[in-house]
Amino acid sequence: MAFVLVMAPLSRHLHDRPLFERLGHVPQPEVLKAVSADQAQAVGAAMVMKVMIYFGGLSDETMNRQKTPPDYPAMYRVISGAVKLDPYNMDAYYFAQAVLVWDVRKVDLANDLLDYGMKYRTWDWYLPFFAGFNNAYFLKDYVKAAEYYRSAGELSGSNLYKSLAGRYLQESGRTGLAIVYLSTLVKSEKNEAIRKSYEVRLKAYRVVQIIEQARDLFQVNHGRLPSTIDELIQERFLSAVPVDPYGGRFSLSPKGEVRTSSNFVFGRAKNDERKPE
Amino acid sequence: MYVIALTTLRGYLRDKIAWSVLLVAILFCGVPFTASLSMRQVTELSLTLSLSLVSFVLLVLSVFFGGTSLWKDIERRYTFSVISLPISRSKYLLGKFFGTAAFLTLITLFLIPVALAAVYVASHINPPDRPVLWATVLICIGFDLMKYILLVACAFLFSTVSTSFFLPIFGAILTFFAGSMSQQVFDYIHSDAARALSPTTKLVATFVYYVIPNFSAFNLNLNAVYALPLSLQGVLLTASYFVAGVSLLLALACLLFNRREMN
Repeated sequence: MAFVLVMAPLSRHLHDRPLFERLGHVPQPEVLKAVSADQAQAVGAAMVMKVMIYFGGLSDETMNRQKTPPDYPAMYRVISGAVKLDPYNMDAYYFAQAVLVWDVRKVDLANDLLDYGMKYRTWDWYLPFFAGFNNAYFLKDYVKAAEYYRSAGELSGSNLYKSLAGRYLQESGRTGLAIVYLSTLVKSEKNEAIRKSYEVRLKAYRVVQIIEQARDLFQVNHGRLPSTIDELIQERFLSAVPVDPYGGRFSLSPKGEVRTSSNFVFGRAKNDERKPE
Repeated sequence: MYVIALTTLRGYLRDKIAWSVLLVAILFCGVPFTASLSMRQVTELSLTLSLSLVSFVLLVLSVFFGGTSLWKDIERRYTFSVISLPISRSKYLLGKFFGTAAFLTLITLFLIPVALAAVYVASHINPPDRPVLWATVLICIGFDLMKYILLVACAFLFSTVSTSFFLPIFGAILTFFAGSMSQQVFDYIHSDAARALSPTTKLVATFVYYVIPNFSAFNLNLNAVYALPLSLQGVLLTASYFVAGVSLLLALACLLFNRREMN
């Protein structure tokens, strides 16, 4: 009886613990590697799983608009520790790319991890594909991006990846680049939380692409850029007010760039209007 | 010696503890389910979990039976009646050792199909990018078995000089961890990062590295999990190291056991 009475509050207490307690302290990877003996891969996999479950829970909360800021530095520490234990663990690289790049814009950290992984997973085209995208889309380093895409193309045998960097050298092509990238990942994604996150982002980028196409048509017809989204609707280049799946509001910058107040993040849709990245 | 080995093996097979440890095998049923939580490497995770479970079961059995087998006989004074028979102490010890090694081999043979079945199920639900190299997986488990037989030899060596089970059990556990990390320490002290260490520290660490068994040499998990090619030279050298290491430990154990006073 006492056990039953204690279980419910204990379970609630454990669930409501501060983030750093829920994710736990991770010792130095060198120490972990030494004490885990022949179980290093299993310990590495357990660390990645812990972060994935933690993030999966937060992702559900975020979708339901319960704002709980994820502890990204702690997540990075765990992931980078996991790849020191098992440098071949693809889940770690994939998760780092999915979360670090999009949600916290720590592109350099993600690229460091990807470069580290490429030294081991020499057969895997995903890692150079990710690095190519990060360099082209976020860092605008097209020379480096072309090198990575060439590597991804050679490993996968796909000409699409070989031509990606060349095709999207222009600023206007960045939305298309993001759509190709996200579409590739959505097709093969099994993790529910990550797939949902990609699907929402892909949906948002497709809306941005529609606005960009309408803007370009407007410019061809009028010889100038539209000043607002409403102008595009009034001139019937857009049929309705475009909906941002993140709950934000689309607008156009003076240079014609499509911006959103959500910045593609749930719970950020206030007056903070930014260009989607 | 053969009779003692067979009697030892039969004794283990009658032991309820051995079979209760084997209940861990039930956990293999959960491997495909747990592995399916992986985003990109379901089969690789199922291999990691299966190899970890096999290794864990063998570790528990080798420490428990390796550490208590000889000691228990001495404690119960069974040894006295046996060594009064026309059989040398060395043959008795070797018989006990080979009986224990045969038991670990039998357990491994039982766990192999269970582990492979778990991996097979996981790989059919989510086919891997790289095909599973089943031969490498079997070699990896075989090297795990060698590692734990070497550990049993260490536990037997401790049993020959110990009057309680503390030294054989905890000595074997410490040897296992020290032997698993010795290569890492050796690599570190011979790297640029260890320039600040004193020559004496380096000398002691190098001495310890050569004296204790190097268990990390038997770890082929990465090759098995990620279908990485095996080095034939590495495999042959490690197998030779196993034969030499077990022979040396048993020779030392026989020497000490022969000189031991039994009252």
